[in-house]
Amino acid sequence: MAKPESSPVIELVSLHKSFNGQIVLDGLDLRIEAGQTTVIIGQSGGGKSVLLKHMIALIKPDQGKVLVEGVDITRLNDRQLNNIRKNFGMLFQAAALFDSMTVGENVAFPLREHTRLKQHEIDEIVKHKLRQVGLKGVAHKMPSELSGGMQKRVGLARALALDPKIILFDEPTTGLDPITADAIDRLIVDTQKHTNATCIVISHDIESTFKIADTVAMLYHGKIVEIGKPEDIKSSKNLALQQFIQGKAEGPIQVV
Amino acid sequence: MTKFSVEAKVGFFVVIGMIVLAYMSMKVGKFEYAGEKGYELYAYFDSAEGLVKGVPVQIAGVEVGRVKEISLEAGKAKVAFQLDPEVQVGEDAEAAIRTKGVLGDKYVEVIPGSPQAQPIKPGGRIVRTQSPANIDTLLKQLSSIGTDIKEITQSLSGVLGGREGETSLKTIMDNIRSIAETLNETIQKNNENINRTLDNLAIFSKDLKEISGTNKEAVHEIVANFRQVSDQFRDALIAFSEITGKINRGEGTIGKLIHDEETIRSMNETLVALKGITEKINRGEGTIGKLVQDDETADNINAALSSINEYLQKEERFRTYVDYRGEYLFDSDDVKSYLSLRIQPKEDKYYLLQIIDDPSGKKTVTETTTTVGGTSTTEYKEEIDKDEIKFSAQIAKRYYDLGLRAGLFESTGGIAADYYLFDDRLILSLETFDFDPDENPHLKFKADFTPFQYIYLTVGFDDFISTEGTESFFIGGGLRFSDEDLKTLLSGAPIPKN
Amino acid sequence: MIKIIETIGRGLIRFIEEFGQVMFLLMSAATWMVRPPARLRAIFKQMEFVGVNSLAVVILTGAFTGAVLALQAYHGFRLFGAESLVGSTVALAMTRELGPVLTSLMVTGRAGSAMAAELGTMRVTEQIDALYTMATNPIKYLVVPRIVAGVLMLPVLTIIADFVGILGGYIVGVGLLEINSGIYVAKMIEIVELEDIFNGLVKSACFGLILSLVGCYKGFYTTGGAQGVGQATTRAVVIASVSILISDYFLTAAMF
Ligand SMILES: Nc1ncnc2c1ncn2[C@@H]1O[C@H](COP(=O)(O)OP(=O)(O)OP(=O)(O)O)[C@@H](O)[C@H]1O
Ligand SMILES: [Mg+2]
Repeated sequence: MAKPESSPVIELVSLHKSFNGQIVLDGLDLRIEAGQTTVIIGQSGGGKSVLLKHMIALIKPDQGKVLVEGVDITRLNDRQLNNIRKNFGMLFQAAALFDSMTVGENVAFPLREHTRLKQHEIDEIVKHKLRQVGLKGVAHKMPSELSGGMQKRVGLARALALDPKIILFDEPTTGLDPITADAIDRLIVDTQKHTNATCIVISHDIESTFKIADTVAMLYHGKIVEIGKPEDIKSSKNLALQQFIQGKAEGPIQVV
Repeated sequence: MTKFSVEAKVGFFVVIGMIVLAYMSMKVGKFEYAGEKGYELYAYFDSAEGLVKGVPVQIAGVEVGRVKEISLEAGKAKVAFQLDPEVQVGEDAEAAIRTKGVLGDKYVEVIPGSPQAQPIKPGGRIVRTQSPANIDTLLKQLSSIGTDIKEITQSLSGVLGGREGETSLKTIMDNIRSIAETLNETIQKNNENINRTLDNLAIFSKDLKEISGTNKEAVHEIVANFRQVSDQFRDALIAFSEITGKINRGEGTIGKLIHDEETIRSMNETLVALKGITEKINRGEGTIGKLVQDDETADNINAALSSINEYLQKEERFRTYVDYRGEYLFDSDDVKSYLSLRIQPKEDKYYLLQIIDDPSGKKTVTETTTTVGGTSTTEYKEEIDKDEIKFSAQIAKRYYDLGLRAGLFESTGGIAADYYLFDDRLILSLETFDFDPDENPHLKFKADFTPFQYIYLTVGFDDFISTEGTESFFIGGGLRFSDEDLKTLLSGAPIPKN
Repeated sequence: MIKIIETIGRGLIRFIEEFGQVMFLLMSAATWMVRPPARLRAIFKQMEFVGVNSLAVVILTGAFTGAVLALQAYHGFRLFGAESLVGSTVALAMTRELGPVLTSLMVTGRAGSAMAAELGTMRVTEQIDALYTMATNPIKYLVVPRIVAGVLMLPVLTIIADFVGILGGYIVGVGLLEINSGIYVAKMIEIVELEDIFNGLVKSACFGLILSLVGCYKGFYTTGGAQGVGQATTRAVVIASVSILISDYFLTAAMF
């Protein structure tokens, strides 16, 4: 059914995962198309971060397959995983900056690890990436000296440092003011266009979701209940989805 | 203030550590190096109680070597010592186990023989030995001596107290004089012996001191023994003073003494007995005699000679080992097996022949990446081959704890070093082979540990700087049998001695 | 009754499981250690932390241990006039036992706990996950340098502790208690063997492995936030100290 030129970069096949008996992913299937931005939305605590971590094998599923470019990464050993992960960049929900390094060293880390660039070249890229996320003159600071939103942006700069083929963003704009959030959204779109990367974004922000998404997927009860183009999603008949994008407390999703 | 780099600090720190280590090793280790030179002698002792490996050997209080080995042979303690090369020991020399210091470290004192004597050749035996004196037995014997003396004096007192003995005082006097003369003569003749007795007494008192240091209980016992001895001595003295008192008390008594034939006879008997005792001492018999002179037991020599023969046979024996080892390779999940034959003509040299079943020839994984429309798919293809059989043939030589091997390693040329630890129970090896100009050489590190006689365990890294990704951590184990073991296993089947 | 057996059994299984995990960590550390690149910088940094920075505390411990040992030995030996053996007693005790064991225990308290706390924090703030996503194996990047530093630095610290301990003993013995210095040194040199020093150093290298391995293990597998980090730290110190003391017995039995 899939169009021949758009074979999936990442394909999740009937993924099951539970923590201490609590089912988080319940036979989830998802195909991520190459060179597109896919936004995954869903309830808080619904398992979005867990899903994202499966794609880069930080979490191994209880059952099911995670195919990255056709290879089931759940069966690879450490060394083979390392090779696959060189294609990835990831922004963590809580930034996960190395607190023993300065901001500059954090962004430079992937460059130092995987390129043979000279120090001044690295410095140049670091400066550029930090400027892209709207940060100037913070390179020598320690992460603990930054605000939460600033840390998030440093994390973003670090994820983009190597211009990876696949980028995973866990809530890139949460905790940012609307103006910075919009700038970050644009950065994601631009980056995607420039490098033809495959972007997978987790977001709660409906507005920004429709701004950046080529495809939107809704995670609900451990499954992808709806996936499609933003227009299709907006006009979806799925009640849970409609409740989610309209942001109402009443509906099939009961929070309290 | 200049800030040091991390590397500088660590480097400086390590250098300080190494200097301290070098300094301490040099201070402490000088005997170790001296110990390796020189030649070996041995001696048999009745008891090597308290003697340990590595204690000094002294001549006239000067350290000339160290005790190298203590073993039991035919019920005697065989002590081997390493002597400095410039030290010569005559054939009539004597080896004694002595006690040094208050805490009583035992050491070996060699008492050199006469300068004219032939020097003992390296590997030879010092025949004359003195074992450490056992304090307890000595004290018991002393106590019985005391009893003897008391008996003598009592009978003396009886004799002198009798009325009839008064008449023969003159004879007694004559006899006493003759005893004194005999004694004098004995002493003169045995001047040397008595000196040695005094020496021994000195050692003895040292030993006593040592015991008082180490063992409270023993001290109590000794003190009790001493008290007994001295009580007996006191009784003896009282008896003596009784005699002299009686003599002093008046001429009348002496006259009576002289006329008593019976008394004189018994007194003479006593004196004869006394004389016998001194003569016994002179001949080196009895308790005191043991202190004065050491008995030399010649039948030791026979036992020693036969054991030398045995020893020589052992040293020269050809040994053959058969060894199987398996290594489980973690990365490829396979077992690599080795079957080897080790021919060891000498303690420090052996030849190794080995057949290796290497599973890394088994699987070849080819990785093909096809790119379709910007997406690449990677295919893994596995080809199954036969296991590869390889051969090793090596010659090995050992220098102290370091062994070197060279020859054929897994069908390619190579060299290896082995380091032997804990009496050869742990062997660390590094092998380098397969010097292909295009690739890194094959390096293998392993540690073999032998907890029991026939079985050993192994861990290590195979091919750890490989460029083809064949490096793997491995663990495994093996069985090793010598020809002796096999002989017993195969119930008497003869093993050819090449 | 059955409850007791059950508890013991569970404890035993837990122990075996944990021991297996430690061995697994050791094995993967060993595997990653020989894979290029050799992270010399990270190793040097840890060597500085474990070695150089522990110098002061190790010197203090060593010197005062040697001093008090001399004092105690003197009172004992004076009873039978063996004061001259104080030096050898101090030197033997320091090189064979107290140097390696006390140094290791001090370093466990200082560096082993820090390793657990540092790695634990990195684990709960997803920094370790971040390393994975950047195709940098955290075992190679974090664990290997610490273990290497532990194994290499402990013998260096120990030889220094031995030395200052002997020096401390000398100052008390010769300076304060007025034992003849010539006899003091001569007896010491006569009785202490090269083997005593080297076996002590081998032991301390083993202890260095234990303390860094346990510290890393506890930190690396930390769960449960700040409380978990605290627990990991405490447990690391307790387990490492006990393991050092227990293994000391077996190492000593095997060596001397
Ligand atoms: N390591 C873990 N151990 C136990 N439970 C976990 C673990 N990680 C996640 N969970 C559980 O899995 C569920 C999904 O968590 P996840 O972090 O994926 O939520 P989320 O969709 O990302 O939520 P949010 O939007 O708030 O970030 C949660 O209920 C959480 O309690
Ligand atoms: Mg989340």
